[in-house]
Amino acid sequence: MTIPTRPLSLTINGKAVGPIDVPDGLMMVDFLHEYLNLTGSRFGCGIGVCHACTVILDGPDGSEEIRSCITGAHFFAGKSIRTVEGLASRQGGVIAITPVQQSYLDHYSFQCGYCTPGFVVGATVLLERLACAPIPRSRVESVVSEAMERHICRCTGYVRYYEAVKDTILSTPGLTVEG
Amino acid sequence: MAFSRHTGTLAILVAVAIVAVAAAAAMRGNDASPPHRRPQKVQAEPGRLLRGEYLARAADCAACHQVEGGQAYAGGYPLRTPFGTIYGTNITPDPDHGIGRWTADEFHRALTEGKAPRGRNLYPAMPYTAYHAMSREDADLIYAYLMNQRPSPRPNREPDIPFPLDLRVLMWGWNLLFFDRDPLPAASRGQSPQWLRGQYLVNVLGHCAECHTPRGRLGQLQRDYWLQGYALGRYMAPDITPEGLARNGWNAADLQRFMRTGLAPQAVASDEMYPVIVHSSRYLGDEDLAAMTTFLLGDAASGAGPDTRAPARTPPQESPGKTADQPAPAAPPGADGQQVEPGRQTYLNLCAGCHGAQGEGRPGTMPALAGNTSLRMEDPRNLIMAVLHGFPGNVMPGATTFSPMPGFSRRLDDREVAGLANYLRTQWGGQSADVTAEEVRGLRAQ
Repeated sequence: MTIPTRPLSLTINGKAVGPIDVPDGLMMVDFLHEYLNLTGSRFGCGIGVCHACTVILDGPDGSEEIRSCITGAHFFAGKSIRTVEGLASRQGGVIAITPVQQSYLDHYSFQCGYCTPGFVVGATVLLERLACAPIPRSRVESVVSEAMERHICRCTGYVRYYEAVKDTILSTPGLTVEG
Repeated sequence: MAFSRHTGTLAILVAVAIVAVAAAAAMRGNDASPPHRRPQKVQAEPGRLLRGEYLARAADCAACHQVEGGQAYAGGYPLRTPFGTIYGTNITPDPDHGIGRWTADEFHRALTEGKAPRGRNLYPAMPYTAYHAMSREDADLIYAYLMNQRPSPRPNREPDIPFPLDLRVLMWGWNLLFFDRDPLPAASRGQSPQWLRGQYLVNVLGHCAECHTPRGRLGQLQRDYWLQGYALGRYMAPDITPEGLARNGWNAADLQRFMRTGLAPQAVASDEMYPVIVHSSRYLGDEDLAAMTTFLLGDAASGAGPDTRAPARTPPQESPGKTADQPAPAAPPGADGQQVEPGRQTYLNLCAGCHGAQGEGRPGTMPALAGNTSLRMEDPRNLIMAVLHGFPGNVMPGATTFSPMPGFSRRLDDREVAGLANYLRTQWGGQSADVTAEEVRGLRAQ
């Protein structure tokens, strides 16, 4: 029995990928891992609960998080995404990580690190949203909780992750307004 | 001339008197102040209180008389009707805001006649048309139980009902037209003691018909269509007649399991059925659940329902000419195949991750779609609503936890939702691919 495939083309981390023959119903996280060797997005629960697998979908309305373990690869045909591998600046190797990635390191936010790609993706989407629509400084804590609460971490708890995101938001010009 | 002047004056006087009487009746009819008497003390032995608790649960008082996270029976639940919003009242024994000054007679009259103290008419959102047949003994047990609960000082909220329907005296007319004291109908046949007990539990205490029976223009239940399904709220309460249940693949064992746990191969309790399970049916004894099932399915069918675990192989009447012996179609059936291919792609991309490529779901985590009642119902409303708006996560009795299902109203346009619904209906529902984009558009705002 052969598995039916269809050609898939999309943009990942700014580069055109495909066309590649991909089986119907293959989940995006498996496509990233098995076809492209982009293994940073983690397969956790496999049912869209833990959010370790999220990637960034760049659409006309801006960026959003999408769970790659429950979203088929073919859903992304013609679309543009970023994965955790695509956030740092690279020239050959990595030359600079993003402020929120640095902040996670500074705060010792993670222990085993399995959930970290999801937390990086989630915070990145939040920062990009605030760049378009700044919030009062007094609301930062609640907005961070609300945006990040879907991400599950089983080692450190959440305080250091949330503190790191909050610090990044407060220290980045343009994401907040007085109040 | 003098005679006619007198007549005119008399007519005016009569008219003024009628208006005055009507106004007085209208004002008196809305008087919700508690009776002028001391708070009542009700003594009852523990055994009677336990029976009262059981009956209060069977009658699902909590459905309307408490809010999530609120004190038991302190009221406040907003019941949205086409005529306005009515808020469940405080039925704790608080003397000023609850029923603390009511007698057992007054309580019984409220339950069975829809009349509060001072003759104030209750709106028929209070299911007195169902409770009418409640035994005096059961009403007294519920009264004793409620009167021994912790009083709550939570004030009642006036219904948001526009003039003139806010005049409760008008319910006199409604009662005259629609408060039918004849025994409530049955959709099944039976006469066994079990069936009769089930009739009492389903029709009277459980007041299942309030959601599951179609209503007329003035909100009256249509007795000729008893339990045939109705969309009183956002979702369609399914047809629970014997024929409707069989069509959707239900049998006695699964019905009992569903009422006990909220889980069955055919459905996971959600929307307005979830609180019914949580507050009411989960607490009923095995014999009572079996009795309800007997009443729903009928004496002849009880306990001997068809096995419907593989409904794709036994599509309901929609596919004439096919029999259950023929193998399941590998692809979506017949001419629909082309039509539902985009829906299949949508399914594989956005749904199969959780519900499985074969619609098998994941035990205790993700509902199976193969055989799911929402796919098998002729009316696609529930299926479309679920796809568009998703569900909040719920913890079932027994602690099985369902994660929230995301709604896809933003990701999918009307045509894509219709395509997905058609794929699901033809693949696992035995229904036809007749959902249109217009139908989806109409449900987006709900």
